[in-house]
Amino acid sequence: MKNVVIAGYCRSPFAPAYKGLLSKVRPDDLVAQVIKGLITKTGVNPDDIEDLILGCAFPEAEQGLNLARLIVFLAGLPITVAGTTINRYCGSSMQAIHVAAGAIQMNAGEVFICAGVESMTRIPMGGYNTMPNPALYESFPQAYISMGDTAENLAQRYKIDRIDQEIFSLSSQQKAYLAQQQGRFDDEIIAIAGMNKDSCLRPDSTVNDLEQLLPAFQKNGTVTAGTSSPLTDGAAAVLVCSEDYADAHKLNKLARVKATAVSGCAPEIMGIGPVAATHKVLHRAVLKLDDIDIVELNEAFAAQALAVLKDLPVPLDKVNLDGGAIALGHPLGATGARITGKAASLLQREGKQYALATQCIGGGQGIATLLEAI
Amino acid sequence: MAINKVAVIGAGVMGAAIAAQFSNAGVPAYLLDIVPEQTTNRNSIAEAAIQKLLKTEPAPFMHKNNARLITPGNVEDHLSWLADVDWVIEAVIEKPQIKQALYRKLVAVCHKDCIVSSNTSTLPLKLLIEGLPDSIAGQFMITHFFNPPRYMRLLELVAGPKTRPELIATVKEFADIKLGKNCILCKDTPGFIANRIGIYWLQCGILEAIDLGLTVEQADSLISTPFGIPKTGIFGLLDLIGLDLIPSILASMTQALSAEDAFQEIGHLPKRVQDMIAAGFTGRKSKGGFYRLNSEHVKESINLETGEYGLSHNPQDSKDANLQALLSSSARESQYAWRVMSKTLAYAASLVPEISDDIVTIDAAMRDGYNWAYGPFELLDQMGGAWFVDRFQVEQRPVPPLLRERQALYHVASGELQFVTLTGAYQPIRRKPGVVLLADIKRQHPAILNNGSASLWDCGDGVACLEFHSKMNALDMNSMALIRQSIDKVKSEFAALVIHNDAEHFSAGANLGLLIQAIHNQNWMVVEQLIRQGQQTYKALKYAPFPVVAAPSGLALGGGCEILLHSTAIQAHAELYTGLVEVGVGLIPGWGGCKEYLRRYLTFPKLPKGPMPPVVKAFETIALAKVSKSAAEAKELLFLAATDGITMNKNRLLADAKSKALSLCTNYNPPQPCVYPLPGKTAEVLLDMGAKSLQAQGKATAYDLTIAAQLAYVLSGGDCDMTEPLSEDDVLDLELNAFVTLVQQPNTLARLEHMLKTGKPLRN
Repeated sequence: MKNVVIAGYCRSPFAPAYKGLLSKVRPDDLVAQVIKGLITKTGVNPDDIEDLILGCAFPEAEQGLNLARLIVFLAGLPITVAGTTINRYCGSSMQAIHVAAGAIQMNAGEVFICAGVESMTRIPMGGYNTMPNPALYESFPQAYISMGDTAENLAQRYKIDRIDQEIFSLSSQQKAYLAQQQGRFDDEIIAIAGMNKDSCLRPDSTVNDLEQLLPAFQKNGTVTAGTSSPLTDGAAAVLVCSEDYADAHKLNKLARVKATAVSGCAPEIMGIGPVAATHKVLHRAVLKLDDIDIVELNEAFAAQALAVLKDLPVPLDKVNLDGGAIALGHPLGATGARITGKAASLLQREGKQYALATQCIGGGQGIATLLEAI
Repeated sequence: MAINKVAVIGAGVMGAAIAAQFSNAGVPAYLLDIVPEQTTNRNSIAEAAIQKLLKTEPAPFMHKNNARLITPGNVEDHLSWLADVDWVIEAVIEKPQIKQALYRKLVAVCHKDCIVSSNTSTLPLKLLIEGLPDSIAGQFMITHFFNPPRYMRLLELVAGPKTRPELIATVKEFADIKLGKNCILCKDTPGFIANRIGIYWLQCGILEAIDLGLTVEQADSLISTPFGIPKTGIFGLLDLIGLDLIPSILASMTQALSAEDAFQEIGHLPKRVQDMIAAGFTGRKSKGGFYRLNSEHVKESINLETGEYGLSHNPQDSKDANLQALLSSSARESQYAWRVMSKTLAYAASLVPEISDDIVTIDAAMRDGYNWAYGPFELLDQMGGAWFVDRFQVEQRPVPPLLRERQALYHVASGELQFVTLTGAYQPIRRKPGVVLLADIKRQHPAILNNGSASLWDCGDGVACLEFHSKMNALDMNSMALIRQSIDKVKSEFAALVIHNDAEHFSAGANLGLLIQAIHNQNWMVVEQLIRQGQQTYKALKYAPFPVVAAPSGLALGGGCEILLHSTAIQAHAELYTGLVEVGVGLIPGWGGCKEYLRRYLTFPKLPKGPMPPVVKAFETIALAKVSKSAAEAKELLFLAATDGITMNKNRLLADAKSKALSLCTNYNPPQPCVYPLPGKTAEVLLDMGAKSLQAQGKATAYDLTIAAQLAYVLSGGDCDMTEPLSEDDVLDLELNAFVTLVQQPNTLARLEHMLKTGKPLRN
């Protein structure tokens, strides 16, 4: 079987929805610019690209129609490049990578762009016309449970105190701020409208500030806006190709895709999804948790990330080295490409062997990708 | 001359709020202040002032977006901006030298037709223009706004002998039409009109209370509601103004007034108040004044004798509706009321013609500047001028010449309101063009139709005016009957109908007393009838063969809002507080409010497409009982359509509504019925999720959810499918069913009774 590699990663700056600087940028324009940046950065010949696989959690309105195909045009890719839009909510663009990897291994293409985008300003969570199935709501209401409630459920089941969530969040903020100060995001960010810095970060917040916040979802709950990932606008893209192709065209191979997995769990504790997905992916890669050197675990909520880490005991110094979604933001469809691309580039930067990128997914799912150093 | 752009210099409380009122009129304003020391941001004072405006309650802005019309700056870097403004208002510190230096700078940049005015409350115009070149004097006047400028209707204008008449006319017209102010021309006398009398009144109120040993609560309960004066009375108002301002006001008044002026006798600050100021108890903006909230947020008041705070006791409201009786008893309270009010009214009477040639202007100044329901001369008429003078003579007090004839100060002759002049002769009150008051119309002709709750009047040019006049203009079966009779009458005898009244509030909604009675009798047939009748009446109004223009001001809630929603068009006073607030009393809008409000969103072009957004939007507004805090906000909430008009000056509302109605008459066709493509059960589910999440956050009670579920069922279209649109009558049936279901819940009854008793919603 062919080896699959990640041979490039970049993203837009992430900005808070509504008041942020990307709120006036159409999501299709946003991701098109990131893809153009990826082409330039990797030096890949666009004529060789088989397909643009684009993840998006609410593919309607400006994210609607077959967004991926339209972005082929917007990004100025050759008309021969196909485009497909896929939805696995927050796991959408990681799924794009899995689809590409599978296709490469079954010899259904050599080069793929796997991207993701979400303007949470311009297309609200749930979309403009949420139309739940009344019968399902009656028989299985948790199918439609709100994400905040799932975080509260995990905080309860795993007995995660509010203060622990706050400490985790502060640490994410501090890591992200340090990385930003040291310029560690500079080569992954494509400037959009003159902006090249992430702007969700709140480096000044203190435990005291966080303590003042009211619970965001449940009156007597522990989850606040400060311990949740913010609504974010952003886009990310990775170049996925066969290792042979990368070698033949002298592309910069960041990491090899060793195994992938998805799994389902109860929707009311969707945040625990990464646990089962990680067990599967480790099994498929014939590795143990201890073998993993670098973990990119998406931080939908601090309570959720901490619950996962209880079941997957990884030392904190391996997790989210440059901060996570609580600080950087979580543009749903774009996050999978970001953390997978990030994990791959961290393997290279840190000189480590194995990296795991994993996320929880609304509706009760987990997704995981295991990467190996070249 | 047009006022297209203005500048306000001085971003203090008044300056900033004046700029806000210009923005409410749609006029961009520069707001400049000095450059503070030790700062990198040279505009920080004006910028902070704008931010503060956005947080102030009651809101100085009619819409928060109006803040964008104010550009902050500073007087060092940005005076050149003033080259293209048409009016500069100076609201800087009350020091003549500083003001004059500023005027000299202004004249160097402003164009020659630019109005320059001062918002001074204490300095005379002659002092402000002393030694300035004639060119400045020609552009200069005083425009004295009252605090808060959005809500206080008075604008005192003082012009000098050299002020150019066309500039005075421009300001008067702009203030009236665009700013919604009652702009009165004052003479250049200390305190002008309102404060000359108002400060005198407040001082009497303090001194007599101390002299007679009344508590501040006793004083305030007397010198308030019985006289149509706001509940704050004397001491509550002083707390609002700020005690620290009083010494300088008194000093400037006693200095400027002649030694014989009655003000001199009362123009000293009592020791108690001096001590309070020294201790920092200067009123609401500080740690407290005559009243304060203690650490447990319980109201306390100061003992005027000892200076100690103690729990506030509200005295019983006086039962004397008759002013003579209230003022005649030997009780200390009665003596107090008599002393304060007799002195004040006599002082006011003695000031004609010194501060104004006519009593009408003085009455208007006290109504609009101090929110008195009646001016001093109207009060004198109410208590009886002859009685008042007799008592003065018994007490051997000098009677002001104006009152010596013991005649009524106002009277009606051949349908016209007239006022007495110094000669004793009467003169008619003339309204400006564009000002039509319902009160004037009512003096001229008898009602065409009337019953205990509503009347129909002929307001000329083929337009009839339907007036509500029940308590709080609550709507009952009589109101409904009169609407139906009016439709028949207008159909045959008029071209259009305006719905308007000149009360403070257009309508507080349906009469809850009737409903409560029906619930106690478990008479659900009556409830059903109540709803059906209202639905059919409002529907008849909507489809009447003539235009119906509603002209509301103040509150238009529940059923009062529903009548707006059924009108052809609305001409609203800028101060309109409207909303479908039924959930507050455990109900949903049942007189077609759901149906009409939903229609507004179904036909609103700026909404995302698809079956859900109109339903979700309508649900959010009604389930949260959102009430607009201005007509501009009502437009944003779609209670008003984009084509509906807004009138800034309430006195112009009826005339504007009438012209709107007449403009709609040509080839008038009633609206086509709306069809309702609604999503059905799926929307109900979505709205239920939203409501439950509010409950989880502690923002909704279990019973709120019950009501929300009924509302969701109506707005979703019940069990319909999105491929089969509903008719208006289908939606009305849904409203009726939901209403009758909710009415039978004990929690709804509890909400209704609580509202009727306390005027506040119960959150059960």
